[in-house]
Amino acid sequence: MIKVDGLTKAFTSEKGLFDLHFEVNKGEVFGYIGPNGAGKSTTIRHLMGFMKPDSGHSSIHGLDCWKNSAQIQKLAGYLPGEIVFLEGMTGLSFLTLIQQMRKQKETKRRDELIERFQLDVKTPIRKMSKGMKQKVGIIAAFMHEPEVLILDEPTSGLDPLMQRVFIDLILEEKMKNKTILMSSHSFHEIERTCDSAGIIKDGRLVAYEDMHSLRTVQRRVFEVKVRTDADIEKMVQSSLLTEVIGERTVHITVQGNDQEFIQLLSQCEVQHLDTRPQDLEDIFMHYYDRREVAK
Amino acid sequence: MSWPLYLSMMKSHAKMLGGFIYGAVAYIVLIIWIYPSIADMKGFNEMIAALPEGMRKLIGMENGINSLSDYIAGEFYGMLFLIILMVYVILTSTRLMARLVDQGSMAYLLATPNSRVKIASTQAAVLITGLACIVVFTTLSGIAASEWLISGYELDVRSFVKLNVLTFLIFSCVAAYCFLISSICNDEKKALGVSAGITLVFYMFNMAGKLSEKTEWLLNLSIFKLYDPIKMINNETDALLTGSILAVTTILLLAISIIVFKRRNLPL
Repeated sequence: MIKVDGLTKAFTSEKGLFDLHFEVNKGEVFGYIGPNGAGKSTTIRHLMGFMKPDSGHSSIHGLDCWKNSAQIQKLAGYLPGEIVFLEGMTGLSFLTLIQQMRKQKETKRRDELIERFQLDVKTPIRKMSKGMKQKVGIIAAFMHEPEVLILDEPTSGLDPLMQRVFIDLILEEKMKNKTILMSSHSFHEIERTCDSAGIIKDGRLVAYEDMHSLRTVQRRVFEVKVRTDADIEKMVQSSLLTEVIGERTVHITVQGNDQEFIQLLSQCEVQHLDTRPQDLEDIFMHYYDRREVAK
Repeated sequence: MSWPLYLSMMKSHAKMLGGFIYGAVAYIVLIIWIYPSIADMKGFNEMIAALPEGMRKLIGMENGINSLSDYIAGEFYGMLFLIILMVYVILTSTRLMARLVDQGSMAYLLATPNSRVKIASTQAAVLITGLACIVVFTTLSGIAASEWLISGYELDVRSFVKLNVLTFLIFSCVAAYCFLISSICNDEKKALGVSAGITLVFYMFNMAGKLSEKTEWLLNLSIFKLYDPIKMINNETDALLTGSILAVTTILLLAISIIVFKRRNLPL
């Protein structure tokens, strides 16, 4: 459904996109992960036809993204990463304008979404908080029930409750066989919804795999506090990567070998178990390293 | 053209447009209203005649005040109206394109099944409609004021309307090059600066060109050379020729703007 084929757009020799390849099949949810400035939004701008690639091309439903961008919009819904609306409008008048520009008369889905996200549509947009604007953007992207959804960091600005509402919405659309591409800088957000994911770094795709194999390379560090020194000894002796960081406290790195980790824990008297929040580079450090070695 | 966008844009520009119309209408009514007292003033023309020629040209009173038409053309069309329209055209053209691209709201408009050409044409239509509104209201109130507010002085309605049509066309042309700049720029401030800069240079050349014979050549570099209200209202210019040149230039410039906008990369 969405196809990116050798897409290259160099802003400078370091910044830009370089020979990007990936494909999202119909009914699939694709997570597009990368740190800030890696090229996620630039890729999406190409898909939306805002930018002309230097070489290569991208297509949606067989239509070229640069040449046929207006036709593509008929079947696509888009949520920009930066949310700025036209000035001097309320949420409702903005949504109405977009609907009219789409020549869409049905308002049932729109009202349903407004209800779901508990959005006060009468508020003038300039008085809205970031989260409220994000909701308006999400509704604008979903209300015409598009075949393809392109979402640039959809959950930024939403509170945890609304993030859950959003994730449910994505899962629902997935049931309806919609194709979705969403970008994020958080792996956890992608993990719950996506079938496959691509990791982009410095404009290059460093990983492009299904969710399962990504999970096996995902690194997690657990902080474990145990009761006795003997337990510590046991852990350090195990085949797992460990690091003693304090009195009877160890950091254990788990990467695909969850089973082994659980078995080890069952032999010890665990007092406290915690995971350390990590950024993307941390989680996929191994992945990045491996690629660099391969070069 | 996308009608919903057109209407919504007109609505959000209504306040600003209203302000400009109000300013122009109030001033033309005022100036017509005080005309009798100036026309009856003895020695006014002698006083004007005593001024240096360049100065007279500059304030639009080369031959003194001989008729209501001369007076309106020189005092209003030659000075204040020019400035009102310049400001309107520069501000609005920047707001309609560069600002939306700069802020990012253009992304939403382009995320609907309307092509860039359609969106840009709509914005151009909004710009020209606004300009037409100001000129039409000014024309109507000029005619009304000279008809009802003062008595004993005739305004030649035909030439007055012709003057207004030409004024509209001149500023359509200014609007068109400002729109082109606005369509090229990613940065709103830059678009505003460049279009204001170019227009001011044209205006200054026009002023300097009128001051003395030595600087007269500067006039040829300014679009305002084609805009001489007093000659226009006295039917001393070839209105049809000037009008057609301006109309064609406007259409060309707008077409170029739309094509440029269609082809360029947008940082949305």
